[in-house]
Amino acid sequence: MPTVNLWATDGYVGTPDGKNVYIWGFTDKEGGAAQLPGPAIIVKQQPYLIPTVVTVNLTNKLAEPVSLVFPGQGEVRVNGQPAQPQYQGDKLVSFINHALPGETITYQVTLTGPGTFLYESGTYPHRQVQMGLHGAMIVRPPDYLGLHPEKQTAYGRNTGTEFDREYLLVLGEIDPGLHQSVEHGLPYDTGEFNPRYRTINGKCWNGTVSGDGDGHLPARPYGSMIMMEPGEKVLLRCAGAGFESHPLHPHGNHARVVGLDGKLLQNCGISGTTDLSFKRFTILTGPGQTCDLIYTWTGPGYEPDTNPIPTRLPQIRKMALAPTGLTMWSGSPYLGVKGELPGEIESCNQIGEYHFMLNSHGVPGITGQGAFPGGMPAMIAVYPAGTLEPHHGMLPTESHTP
Amino acid sequence: MKVKLRLGATDGWVGTPDGGSHYIWGFVDLTGVPENKLSGFRGKAQLMAPPIVLKVEDEVYLTLTNLGTPDRKGLKEPHTIHLHGFPNQIPVYDGVPEASMAVPVTRDLVYYYKPLDPGTYLYHCHHKPAEHIQMGMAGPLIVRPRDFDPTDIEYKTAYGHGTGTEFDREYFIFLSELDGTIHNLVAKAQEPDWTNYKPTHWLINGRSYPDTVNTTDRFPGQPWPAAVGANVGERVLLRFVNLGFQQHAISIPGVDFRVVAVDAVRLQGLNGEDLSYFKNIIYIAPGQSMDAIFTAPEAPDLYPATLPLFNRNYNKNTLAGGEMGGMISEVRVYAPGTLPPQAAPSL
Repeated sequence: MPTVNLWATDGYVGTPDGKNVYIWGFTDKEGGAAQLPGPAIIVKQQPYLIPTVVTVNLTNKLAEPVSLVFPGQGEVRVNGQPAQPQYQGDKLVSFINHALPGETITYQVTLTGPGTFLYESGTYPHRQVQMGLHGAMIVRPPDYLGLHPEKQTAYGRNTGTEFDREYLLVLGEIDPGLHQSVEHGLPYDTGEFNPRYRTINGKCWNGTVSGDGDGHLPARPYGSMIMMEPGEKVLLRCAGAGFESHPLHPHGNHARVVGLDGKLLQNCGISGTTDLSFKRFTILTGPGQTCDLIYTWTGPGYEPDTNPIPTRLPQIRKMALAPTGLTMWSGSPYLGVKGELPGEIESCNQIGEYHFMLNSHGVPGITGQGAFPGGMPAMIAVYPAGTLEPHHGMLPTESHTP
Repeated sequence: MKVKLRLGATDGWVGTPDGGSHYIWGFVDLTGVPENKLSGFRGKAQLMAPPIVLKVEDEVYLTLTNLGTPDRKGLKEPHTIHLHGFPNQIPVYDGVPEASMAVPVTRDLVYYYKPLDPGTYLYHCHHKPAEHIQMGMAGPLIVRPRDFDPTDIEYKTAYGHGTGTEFDREYFIFLSELDGTIHNLVAKAQEPDWTNYKPTHWLINGRSYPDTVNTTDRFPGQPWPAAVGANVGERVLLRFVNLGFQQHAISIPGVDFRVVAVDAVRLQGLNGEDLSYFKNIIYIAPGQSMDAIFTAPEAPDLYPATLPLFNRNYNKNTLAGGEMGGMISEVRVYAPGTLPPQAAPSL
C-alpha cells in the first residue's frame, strides 16, 4: 500500500509582473520549499473487493496547526483512530485532526474508487487553502495499464474513458493582499477576498504555456502546456482548488465530461442509457469540484497541395501579430508547416504545430494584476502525427510507491 | 450553400434607461454593402452584435473589416472573430491573435468554416478578450439543421426532424453586463483594472429593462428588444447565450422550460435517448449556450397576458443598483392567431 510523506511549509512563487508572493504549501521532499499546487498523489486502486488504503504522514513545519482532508474518499483514520473535528474551547479550528507545529501525524485513507480528487488542509481552510495548502490526488483503476489502448483509462476498461495523454489542471486564485498579510502577521478579512491572479497549476500566463519541470518555476512543477496529436484522446483532469467557479473554454472542439468529483458519469439504475457523459464547449469547475474531460481535435485535414485552405490569406506583414510580444503561431495555416513571419516577431512555435487556447470565460479570469493577458489562458498544442513521444504528457502510473 | 457575410468592427454609443450613455466597441453588418459605402458604418457598432444564422454544411466565408474607432481616433486597436464552439477549426480561422493574427484598422480577414452540427453558438472578438468582449464585441450564432424548413411544422426544429426540438417561435436571450466605469475609462483612453470589474448594468440582447420591452425603433445602436411574444399554445424556443463575465439565473414564473441542448449539443444518450429535462431557472455560466423550449400557457381572460422574465440574482435587476431595471423582460401571450409567423429569430 502506498505511503506518502508530506511536509507543510512555506515558500515563494513569482508572478508575471515580477512580484514574489509568499505561500504556504506541501512538499514531498524533506527540507524542501512549498509547492503550488502540492505534490500530486497518484495511486492505483487494489483489485475488486480489496480495500486500498493510502498512508499519508504529514509533518508540520508551519507555526500553526495544519491538517489534511480528503474530499471524495472513504474512511480516514488518524494515528490509528477515527478522524474527528478539532476545537479550541468551543471554537472550531479544524475539520479533522491536525498536526501541531513540529508534529507528524499519520492519516490512513480508504479510497472509494478511481478518479480525480483534491486533498487540502482542513484547518482554518479559508486562510490555509488560499495560502496554497492543497494538491490533487489521482486514483487509477485497478486494471490500469499505461500505453495499453484499452487499459489506459480514467475509470477502468469498458467505461469509455480511454485516453492517449493526460494533463492535470489545478485551478485556483491568489489574493496577494491576503498572502502579504499572512506573511507579516497582519490581520485580514477574507470577506474582502480580492484575487488579483487566477492560476492553472499555480501559474499565470505565460507560465501556463511552459512544460513540466520548468527550471524557472521550481515551486510549481506541473505544466499546463497541453500537447497532443490529431485524433488523440486527451484526458484533462481539472480540479477547482480555489474559492471561485472557473468556466473553461477549450478552443478547437467540445470536450466530453466523463467524470465529476471523481465519479464516472454513469447511470446508477438498471434501465435507460448507461453512459451519462456529455459534451460541452464551456466547462464550469466549481470550488472543490473536479471534472475529468476528454478532448479530441481531428481537424479538417488541410494540406498545401492536395487540400488547400479555401481562402487566400492576406500579406502577413500587414496584419497584427504577436499582440503580447510573442506568438505561438508558425506563420502558416497548415499543420506541420513553418511559414514566414516578419523578422522582428518572436515565435514560440516549434514545428508548425497548431495552438488552441484553453481559457476562462469569466473575467477577470484571463487577466493578471488587472491586465490582459494573465491568469488563466493556457494552450492546447496539436503536433503533426508521429512527432510526440508516446509518454509525453503522461503522469506517472503511481507517484509514491517505492 | 456558399454564404458570404461581412462584419465591420468599430465603435459607437448605447443608452441605459437611467439616462446613461456608454461608449462601446462592436460589430456591424456590412454584408452586401458596396466598398465606397463602408465608411458610413464607422461609429455604428451594435450591441448585441448582429446575429449570424447559418445552416449545416453551409460554406461560410465571413469577412471581418476593421473600420477603426472614429470616437477614439488615436486608438489603433486590432480585432478578430472567434467562432466559439465550432469543432475542428484551424488557428487562422479561430481568431486568437496569440495563435494566428488579428486585423488592424483598414484591413480585412476572411474566416472560413463549414458547420456540421446544428445549435446555438456565439462569436466574439478574441483580441484582449476581457476588454473587447466587455466593450460589446459579442453576438449569437445559430446553425440550423440540414433539414430545416420553416414552412413545415415537423421540420421547423432546432436540432433536426425527430429530435423533439420543434418550435413555433424563437428568441435570443443574450446575456451580458456593462461596467459603466470601465466603458468610461476606455472612452477616455485609460486602462481599466479588471480586478475592479463591477457591472452597473445587466443586459438582455444589449438592452436594460424597460428598454428590453420597448419595441419601437429608437435605439440605433441597440436594435434588439428582448420581449418574447407568442400565441397561446405555441412552442417558444429560447436561445440563451451568456457572454458576460458572471453567471446568470433566468426565470419566467408560470412556465417550465424544457432544456433541449447545452453548448449546442442536444441532450441525448449514447443510444439517442431523450435526456432533455425541465427547469424553472436557467443557470448559465459565461461562455455557455442553452436551448430551452416552453409552451405559451393559457390565460383566457387576460390576452395579451404578461409573464415577467427576469434574473433570479435580483441584484442584477437594477439600474446601477437603484431602481428596477437590468435583466428583466416580458413574455406576452396572445389569443390564438394574433401574431403572424416569425420572419426571423427575435422578430
